[in-house]
Amino acid sequence: MSTRRRRRNPGVAYPDVTGTLRDRTVDALRDPTLADNLRTAGDSWGAGREVMKRDFGFDEMRDRARDIRRSNIRNMPALLAELQSNVRANGGVVVRAADADEACRYITDLARARGARVVAKSKSMATEEINLNEAMEHAGLEVVETDLGEWIIQLANEHPSHIIAPAVHLNRNQVAALFREEAGTDDVPTDREGLVAHARVRLREKFAQAEIGISGVNLGVASTGTVCIVENEGNARLVTSQPRIHVAVMGMERVIADWDEAAHILQVLPMAAISQDAANYVSLITGPRREGETDGPEEFHLVIIDGGRGALRGSEFEEVLSCIRCGACLYSCPMWQNVGGQAYGSPYSGPIGAIITPVLEGPSSPGSRDLPFMSTLCGACGDACPVGIPLPDLLVRARARSSSPAKRKAGLAFRVWSLLWRRGVTYRLTMIGWRLGLRIRGRGGWVHRLPGPGSGWSKVRDMPSKWPPRR
Amino acid sequence: MSTPVAQMVESLARRKATVQLAGAANAGRAAAGWMADQGIVRAVLADDPVVDAVGLEPALRAAGIDVFRWPVAMGRREVLGLEGPQDVCGVTVPTLGVAERGTLVLEASVGHGRGLDVTNRHHVSLLMADRVVETLGEALAQTFADGRPVPSAVSLVSGPSRSSDIEKISTLGAHGALTEHVVIITP
Ligand code: SF4
Repeated sequence: MSTRRRRRNPGVAYPDVTGTLRDRTVDALRDPTLADNLRTAGDSWGAGREVMKRDFGFDEMRDRARDIRRSNIRNMPALLAELQSNVRANGGVVVRAADADEACRYITDLARARGARVVAKSKSMATEEINLNEAMEHAGLEVVETDLGEWIIQLANEHPSHIIAPAVHLNRNQVAALFREEAGTDDVPTDREGLVAHARVRLREKFAQAEIGISGVNLGVASTGTVCIVENEGNARLVTSQPRIHVAVMGMERVIADWDEAAHILQVLPMAAISQDAANYVSLITGPRREGETDGPEEFHLVIIDGGRGALRGSEFEEVLSCIRCGACLYSCPMWQNVGGQAYGSPYSGPIGAIITPVLEGPSSPGSRDLPFMSTLCGACGDACPVGIPLPDLLVRARARSSSPAKRKAGLAFRVWSLLWRRGVTYRLTMIGWRLGLRIRGRGGWVHRLPGPGSGWSKVRDMPSKWPPRR
Repeated sequence: MSTPVAQMVESLARRKATVQLAGAANAGRAAAGWMADQGIVRAVLADDPVVDAVGLEPALRAAGIDVFRWPVAMGRREVLGLEGPQDVCGVTVPTLGVAERGTLVLEASVGHGRGLDVTNRHHVSLLMADRVVETLGEALAQTFADGRPVPSAVSLVSGPSRSSDIEKISTLGAHGALTEHVVIITP
């Protein structure tokens, strides 16, 4: 692995998460509302996936999707060069940022140079990864998330719980409470339609003010220098058409060769993500507005982020670069279904997050080294992934290189065990010791509490004090 | 009715758009009638030959609807519907329609503002039947064909705006148009 390079800002995982992964997981499991909300989400995803397979031939489309993305990653440097020169030829500015610091600095400097005060954002995992909002707020800008789910999360001062559906862990009453607080009035509807309509007007006020619109990028098409932005609400259409400046932030792996490939992925993505055969709005943006056009941004900036991705090519984790961030592996995962995304402490949660967070950060990062263990290795994520990323295998590989203290302890225990049981004499001695121990601790034929590593097991179980138990 | 058009009608319904079929002679009146029924008071029209070919402007005036042509001299607040009337309809002319998915291909140009389909509460599209292709692949291959100038912005629109961000249940009318109506102009 060559990803252990020093970064000034090493974070992919959120710097402000509290507690250990275990604490956060336990907290999440104790929250009954969260469990209900996640179950609703998981069930509806599962039902939708069946429809996609039955009516739209989803399974048949996956092989080609995988092949396309593999070849994109293989040719990434050349494709990025082509993308870059075509964006420039169409009047756009391209910036290659090695890390989060560089990307954030470019954008905040741009905002300062143009005298911007209000920034309207559409959904972007890459900006979440580089902590752009914090950097912009630090620079004195008002940043407004305009995707409904992201706005809810912003008002709740939380981190998203799902790549596609960030507020999936909150119900309508919780959302109404947040809207009342934001609007400073109790006059906010509580039904879903009313809440959506309320947000529409509040956010339009922001669109009217914003000087800069910031979007993510789902795909960057090299052959024409076009960025594709996929969404359902229309806020990305407003972000890319109303403010005077549009900044698109793209992870470098999102490059794709041409429109033949892009057409395929643009159909697979909504099928995998939201179980629909089309997204409502797809914006295909090639540079700023042209001569004579009266709407659309006057400036177009494309910020392409490396952030540790480039080094993954040719490594044992190369396949994660194929990811199109559809979120399907999250919904499919029994871990995620029970604890939600926030317990992971990273913008990327679920199986893909449990791999790329520590892989991008390095195997000894305390914020993410435990994440690969957030899996039962049941294989559901591998089956769900539309681009055929072998997520279970990669989880195992990520575990192998993790240097978490829990893993070191477990490794030591297994080594001692194997040492003892390899020889007949020591095997028999441990068994005699074990039986004696049980007899000594036993009360009325049962042992209620085991010492040391057995204590967790015996918390909810008893063990017969005679072993093997006799009738 | 040719197969791609029939499929387009079906797909648009699945995307929760409404559809009407009309010959060129009636399409303007049909669209204006639908808009009047919705209580639309103002229409912002793309400056496109199809709009004139179907006689939309006179039909709208006859229905008592205010008509604006792109480009419009409005402030951003009015464009976004924060000022002026609420029931405004953007009228677009897709370069292509995708039968399999119910998708409209809208190209930005001098006469065709890129916000037309999304800033207004309502959206009406005048789609020529012979512009309907079967797959998204065909549509994008034609839109970005070698030698053809690449448009600054292309919008693929598949039904009215919606959000599933609250309880994962699809709710119409997020940031874009609440209603989408497609008039397919048959020969
Ligand atoms: S790993 Fe696969 S399933 Fe998970 S988000 Fe990426 S593309 Fe989707």
